[in-house]
Amino acid sequence: MKTRLWASLLGTVLIVGALLVGNVAAGNSPQLGIDLQGGVSVILEPTEPATQDDLIVIRDLIRDELERTGIAEPDVRTQGSTIVVDLPGVRDTEEALSRVDVSGVVALRPVLFTAECQPLDGSNLDPDTDGATVSIDDTATPGAELLPTRDGTILCVGAAQGTGEVFERQSAEATLDQQGWGVAVGLRGGDGRAVWNNLANQCFNGAPTCPRTNPNSNGQIAIVLDSVVQSAPSVNTTNFGDSVAITGSFTQDEARDLARILNRGAFPVEVEAQEVEVISASAGSRALDAAVIAGLIGVALVLTFLLAYYRWLALVILTGLTVWASTVYVVATLVSEWTNFSLSLAGVTGIIVAVGVTVDSYVVFFERMKDEIRNGRTLKNAAPRSFAATWRTIWTADIVSVIGAAILFALSVGNVRGFALFLGITTLCDLFVCFFFTRPAVVLLARSNFMVGKRAFGLEVAQ
Amino acid sequence: MSPRGDQIAASPLGRLYRGQTAIDFYGKRKIGVIVAIVVVVVTLGSLFTRGLNLGLDFEGGQAWDVPATNGFDVDEAEAILDDNGVSTTGSKIQRRSPQGSDDDIIRIEIEVVPTETAATLSAEFAEAAGVEANEVTFSFTSASWGADITEKAVRALIIFLAVVVVFISIRFEWRMAVAGMVAMVHDVLFTVGVYTLFQFEVTPATVIAFLTILGYSLYDTIVVFDRVKENEGRFASVKMLYPDIVNISMNQVLMRSINTSISSILPVLSILFIGSGLLGADALREFGVALFVGMIAGVYSSIMVASPLLARLKQKSGRSQRRHRLTGDELRAAVVGAGVSGRVVSARGVGDDVDHDDRSDDVDVDKNAAVHSSADRVLTHPPRPRKKKRR
Repeated sequence: MKTRLWASLLGTVLIVGALLVGNVAAGNSPQLGIDLQGGVSVILEPTEPATQDDLIVIRDLIRDELERTGIAEPDVRTQGSTIVVDLPGVRDTEEALSRVDVSGVVALRPVLFTAECQPLDGSNLDPDTDGATVSIDDTATPGAELLPTRDGTILCVGAAQGTGEVFERQSAEATLDQQGWGVAVGLRGGDGRAVWNNLANQCFNGAPTCPRTNPNSNGQIAIVLDSVVQSAPSVNTTNFGDSVAITGSFTQDEARDLARILNRGAFPVEVEAQEVEVISASAGSRALDAAVIAGLIGVALVLTFLLAYYRWLALVILTGLTVWASTVYVVATLVSEWTNFSLSLAGVTGIIVAVGVTVDSYVVFFERMKDEIRNGRTLKNAAPRSFAATWRTIWTADIVSVIGAAILFALSVGNVRGFALFLGITTLCDLFVCFFFTRPAVVLLARSNFMVGKRAFGLEVAQ
Repeated sequence: MSPRGDQIAASPLGRLYRGQTAIDFYGKRKIGVIVAIVVVVVTLGSLFTRGLNLGLDFEGGQAWDVPATNGFDVDEAEAILDDNGVSTTGSKIQRRSPQGSDDDIIRIEIEVVPTETAATLSAEFAEAAGVEANEVTFSFTSASWGADITEKAVRALIIFLAVVVVFISIRFEWRMAVAGMVAMVHDVLFTVGVYTLFQFEVTPATVIAFLTILGYSLYDTIVVFDRVKENEGRFASVKMLYPDIVNISMNQVLMRSINTSISSILPVLSILFIGSGLLGADALREFGVALFVGMIAGVYSSIMVASPLLARLKQKSGRSQRRHRLTGDELRAAVVGAGVSGRVVSARGVGDDVDHDDRSDDVDVDKNAAVHSSADRVLTHPPRPRKKKRR
């Protein structure tokens, strides 16, 4: 029992200490948010005139896409007729440019021929004839173009009849049913559905504008992004309701890919990067220093208070808080290494606030011990008993915070997500330190002769 | 030489310090109800009439790009805003270095201000930077916190609260979940009320502060309820009235609540006064106010809102009301006597532990007996004598 307690105590201190020293020696530190450290800003401009509503749609799409590709808490807004994207934690302008290159307009184009573009007669296309060998008169189809598909074959597609805007925003998702992987995407009510159904109608009936290129199936709609035919499903119905299901011999990855393309392709207009700027911290140069200094003073005040109140036992709080702070620092650093999450001013203050909740673990513990001792137990006897009761309380209360952090992290975006991350980290670290450090520290201290004759909780400790 | 722990201290502070208080929290429940009604009415009233002062990130605003020439920098921009009475709390001022150009730009973004103020600002920025007015570009910016962020956050929050209700219902019971939720809503409304009454600017950091308060409120309530639940089991055999159990628990956790609030609020006060006051980091001020108000509300509501409400909810669930509620010394005796895991010291040398304890102490047996006689009355059967070896 005693050996285990020592192992837990020393193990915790050594592991946390080693990680801390390792991280500091390697020069790693938690990444700071755009308000504290600055970052890189990219200014995007639409390639053709766009309305303010279009810009707002683009703003939301870009933010979603950035978060999906691992840029946490980007600051995206429209300014005048441009869109300003501030990226935290990105120092390299090249990287910034490639990161924000997420815009795209999906074009919906009928497939005319499977190999090469041929003049289109417009009236007498025999559905039973292979499109590639049909002979027709000289008028080339306006807007027809040869485009490669993802697997390298060439398709001839007609002029775009719609864009990704016909789909409900962010509604595409990979689905799995008996037929294997597919993609389901919602249709936007009103004109979205009308545009899609108009095109689908032509293709279903094998109209000249969307002929049957394969005798066994109806005409195909090519989903084109970045001049590549991402998918060319054939149409099996004329009247789509709320959503479109695209099935075929997709693998899971292909289905996910297509869903992503449909989602990001809903840009109403294309935007391109105009300018890249390195930006300074926006919260004012003093904010971080002020928060840290104020926080440290606050913690010092708390420790003074606890020292006055708990006397010698406050030593445990002091070392425990040090271990806790080191653990939080190490975890925050590791998280910064692996992801793009950065610590904003709100995050720093959040951690300072978490000190209060962490101290509560000790207060609950010590108050319980005080009660036990007052009721006649020895310190040695009271410590493990009090911990058992305290652990139940702390565990219950902290688990609620952890649940909250997990749900907010999984389901929300932007600042709220960053907040959830750091709430989760501080709470889990609290539980960790409470069990692996505070428990052995107090129990061992209570067993030793160190506390005999010393004052704690205003009571003199007897053996 | 300190006095023995189980004497009742003479001064109120001493009693508080030793966990010997006997405050009839349940009897003062009207205070909680009145305060809660005031909070709800004032907050909702103010929300509907004045609304919230939403900041740049929610509503968009205006932006200037000023060349960083003539020594014009962030601090100077801030000073100009201050001189014109524009709040710098919600503003964003950045130095931007365009790629492939040596000239930096200071970008100043603020909330929408009247046209005249904007014109004055433009002129002053140009003057400070030593450039022509037309070299300062002016534009409108949109919100960066879009409606869909709010939507997703609200959805996540609702799911979270539902899960918490289920969790507390399983871990404790549904009445505690209800009482905890009411206290949480009370605290958040309290803080929102401060924001709408004083028209503090709501920034993304404020939203984070609200979430922090929400979490803190739930945390504090659960810690308090855990003790209620524990005492419920302890008094199960004596048919103690539920309000009494709540009162006993509140008195027992009072010192813990006070200590924890002090520990939580000291850093916040430090941020508020040292960070934003002395060091002048405006961004910290309103965030600090929100946290300060919310945390005080969180601790207060656990004791004055959640607990009396819990007692009310439980009382209707059919416990017999054959005894009047404990107050005064009876309550104190129950608080002190039945404080912890089981045993009450009623006289000298009952258990083996005490033998060691008493080595150096001269216990006043009569006083002890006086203290604990009422505890014995509460616990209708005397504490079970301790067995040396269980099982």
